[in-house]
Amino acid sequence: MRLHSKVKWGARTLAGALLAGLFLLPLYWIMTASLRPAGLPPARTVEWLPPSPTLANYPAIFEMLPMARYLRNSLIVVAAAVPVTAVIASWAGFALAQFPDRPRRRWLGLSVATLMIPGASVWIFRFQILRWLGLIDSLGALIVPAFAAGSPLFVLLFYWTFRRVPPGLYEAARLDGASAFTTWWQVARPLARPTTIAVIVLSFVLYWSDFISPVLYLYRPALYTLPIGLQILKQLDPTGWPLLMAAATIMTLPVIGLFILLQRTFLGDNSLAELLDRN
Amino acid sequence: MTLFLLPYLLGTLLLVVIPALATLALAFTDYNFIRPPVWDGLDNFRTLWASPLVRLSLRNSFLFLALAVPLRLLGALFLALLLQAKRRPFGLFRAAVYLPTVIPEAAYALLWLWLFNPLYGPVNLILAWLGLPTPAWLAEPGTAVLAIVIMSFFQLGEGFVVLLAGLQNIPHALYEAARVDGASAWQSFWRITLPLLLPWLLLLTFRDLIMSLQNTFTPTFIMTYGGPYYATTFIPLLIYEIAFDIFDFGLAAAVLVVTYILLGLIALGLFNLSGLNADEITF
Amino acid sequence: MLQKIAPLILLLLLAAGCSQVNAGETVSFMVFGDPAELAAYEDLVAAFNAGHAGLEVQLRHIPDQGAYRRRLATDFAAGSPPDVMLLNYRRFATFVDQDGLAPLGPYLAESEALAATDFYAPTIEAFTLDGELWCIPQNISSLVVYYNRDLFDRAGVPYPEPGWTWDDFLARARALTRDLDGDGQIDQYGAAIEPNLFRLAPFIWQNGGEIVDDPQHPQRLALDEPAAREAFQWFVDLQVKEGVVPDAVAEAAESGESRFLNGRLGLYFNSRRGVPTYRTIDSFTWDVAPLPRHRETAGILHSDAYCLAAAAENKEAAWTFIEFANSVTGQTLVAASGRTVPSLPAVAESPAFLDPDRPPAHSRVYLDAIPTLDRVPLMTTWAGIEESVSREIERAFYGQASIDEALESAHRLTQPYFEQAE
Repeated sequence: MRLHSKVKWGARTLAGALLAGLFLLPLYWIMTASLRPAGLPPARTVEWLPPSPTLANYPAIFEMLPMARYLRNSLIVVAAAVPVTAVIASWAGFALAQFPDRPRRRWLGLSVATLMIPGASVWIFRFQILRWLGLIDSLGALIVPAFAAGSPLFVLLFYWTFRRVPPGLYEAARLDGASAFTTWWQVARPLARPTTIAVIVLSFVLYWSDFISPVLYLYRPALYTLPIGLQILKQLDPTGWPLLMAAATIMTLPVIGLFILLQRTFLGDNSLAELLDRN
Repeated sequence: MTLFLLPYLLGTLLLVVIPALATLALAFTDYNFIRPPVWDGLDNFRTLWASPLVRLSLRNSFLFLALAVPLRLLGALFLALLLQAKRRPFGLFRAAVYLPTVIPEAAYALLWLWLFNPLYGPVNLILAWLGLPTPAWLAEPGTAVLAIVIMSFFQLGEGFVVLLAGLQNIPHALYEAARVDGASAWQSFWRITLPLLLPWLLLLTFRDLIMSLQNTFTPTFIMTYGGPYYATTFIPLLIYEIAFDIFDFGLAAAVLVVTYILLGLIALGLFNLSGLNADEITF
Repeated sequence: MLQKIAPLILLLLLAAGCSQVNAGETVSFMVFGDPAELAAYEDLVAAFNAGHAGLEVQLRHIPDQGAYRRRLATDFAAGSPPDVMLLNYRRFATFVDQDGLAPLGPYLAESEALAATDFYAPTIEAFTLDGELWCIPQNISSLVVYYNRDLFDRAGVPYPEPGWTWDDFLARARALTRDLDGDGQIDQYGAAIEPNLFRLAPFIWQNGGEIVDDPQHPQRLALDEPAAREAFQWFVDLQVKEGVVPDAVAEAAESGESRFLNGRLGLYFNSRRGVPTYRTIDSFTWDVAPLPRHRETAGILHSDAYCLAAAAENKEAAWTFIEFANSVTGQTLVAASGRTVPSLPAVAESPAFLDPDRPPAHSRVYLDAIPTLDRVPLMTTWAGIEESVSREIERAFYGQASIDEALESAHRLTQPYFEQAE
């Protein structure tokens, strides 16, 4: 029996390792492709490691384009937008979790309906509204969606978390004389840590990758963000793969870094399960 | 308490709802961006109905959904079942599976453009090394859609995580009892796991359908721009082309409206089929 | 208290109002292009701002054409289009039809610095609709052939000469298409050309065919007529039968232009646009040759122009800038990027453009092509027509459909566009 169990686990671990390897391949290839010297003729056989790997492509793209500026702008946008998103989504989820039945279902239904709205519907008219707010041609235009909590999904995630909190806890806080804000800050928020982390990672990716908004709402090249930088690079050299992959790596590494830092918390053993427990 | 809801409501109203409603109104007008919109009634919808391109895009989009959504869900389910163990290396495996989801869209699209390069990309080089046929991927209509489906498959992380959570919520006692009764692993899966996961699977199907109908934009925009010969012209890209290449925003808005209605119908269909009501999904 | 403050407030408001009137006028100018072009436009704008106190031109640069169009759309929709913008002659008719532009003909007529006769006639004609000149043309480029001299030398093939024919071209392309390392895969192609309508058109004209039934009042495509169909077949055969240009897989693996830049292609068809990039080539020498001719000699006009938005507030200031941009000084500055063939003969015939020390050595080729240039029709729905037909041409070119299937589709899919344009 024990041998059978060991073999079973051995097989599972092997299968898991192979599959994990498969899913890691894309990332592996972005990075190794970026290390290939730029002028070489294209590869004819699989190259698990590039011939004479070099880091020269990285400084090269910073020279070809103001990549440093694009990076800085992208960082500014996420530094502002992510905390705002997390807070506003948390507030909204908190509020919804405590609504009585009828209004709660209505707002939830509306949130789901909003979730289904295709992104393209808002392109043009959001421009009008941003212009009215005076945010066109400023990074503010890219940050302001944070005030709509980034995406209704984040609000829903917080909602589910806060619903799981026994109402008794909120009652106790209220009896102690705590204001709604204190209840949120001291009681609810700590319980939603995994969700907050998840929202931080997901919203980071959202703002970091945003491709259409910078083109529509920014005029000055000084304000461009990384996705546009990638597009400009692709135009300059459509098949210069080492350079393009270097730029892609620069764009990907911060997100991967953040993810690795925080993944234990929301992919970890029990956290998300508790979050979504229906009992 | 409503105060807490206010920022989100205000933000969503201003930045999402109002623009979307304005676009809805535009669907009934003739609008080329320059002159103010002119009321047109159902003209755009008539054009839409008659347009071979719109039909083709709808067909492409649904083909993509039919291929990608089951693949992603089954993949997510299989991986969740395999990797749910709380042992040492499995945490790393789980992180690895989720990783591609985190790669920013533009970078992800460029990466696969390189991976699918028919002569020099790693995918075909490996296939050739294994002695397998090397398809043209993005260079030919048949295989181009497949390429986008494969890309989409690697980003099944979200569904994977949700199903993991769902699996962990199944009380262990149920499996114990089944084993005592002499049930096989397969029977446990079929009788216990699957029924209890069903709400999650449906939720994921719903979400995946919505997302897959929308998130083909960046890949098709960067990699193929709808080619070869319209094979990867899905609805989001079509809307973009009608709006910004042909400058017929009234028609683009009409296509948006139709897409939204179709999504709504799918959602309703799913809910009815599953017998779940809104309360259960939203608890 | 209020009675004392009120007059003060009124005074302040008046003062603020007055200072607004006296403030410098600004003109927004939007362009697209790669960094080399951007640098040239920055020089242009800087030169203008330096020489015109009280006026300031603000440059808005968009990296690529697609984004540029998106941007124009949102700006117009918001009611705040750029004052001055660059538009291509294939796309400006929509803006005219929708009352988005203010005609520049009257300004030109009254100008003391410029006159319509200063420009090459085909460019003025390309921006004239219903007898009115709408925009001032900046360039007069056309489709030409760039070739790699070293590749020709190594293969012992003579360079293209003026007046060379389709057969001459095919012979040279064949000679240069080689499998260099004997692995069964062609490494070096003789030629490459983008399979779209804008590239195919001059070949159709050269065979005596037409793209549309009546260029002045187009009602339908005319690509199925014998002369046009024959040219289309020849074009498609370059890939399908002769194999002198990359096939679908080869093109997807590495674009024709990339092959040319890396010295693996003999003849590349492009307009003047490519020159700034080609000037960065240092591994081989290259030059430019005219299009090969057939029954007739014909080329296709490529032209962009400065246009004025109808909603622009400072029209006089905007005109001052447009006038400057199209003066000899202005066009010389822009020509420095290498990207344009100036629309003013005074600049085009000068060393600013013809300098033989900067490649291509034979820039005269672009000027020699001017007398035989033809253009596509000016239609409000032309963009849609070109896009649809190009997709059909592409699939026939890569052997994914016969030319008759492609022609049938093209005619069917473009019918609505012709009807819409009245």
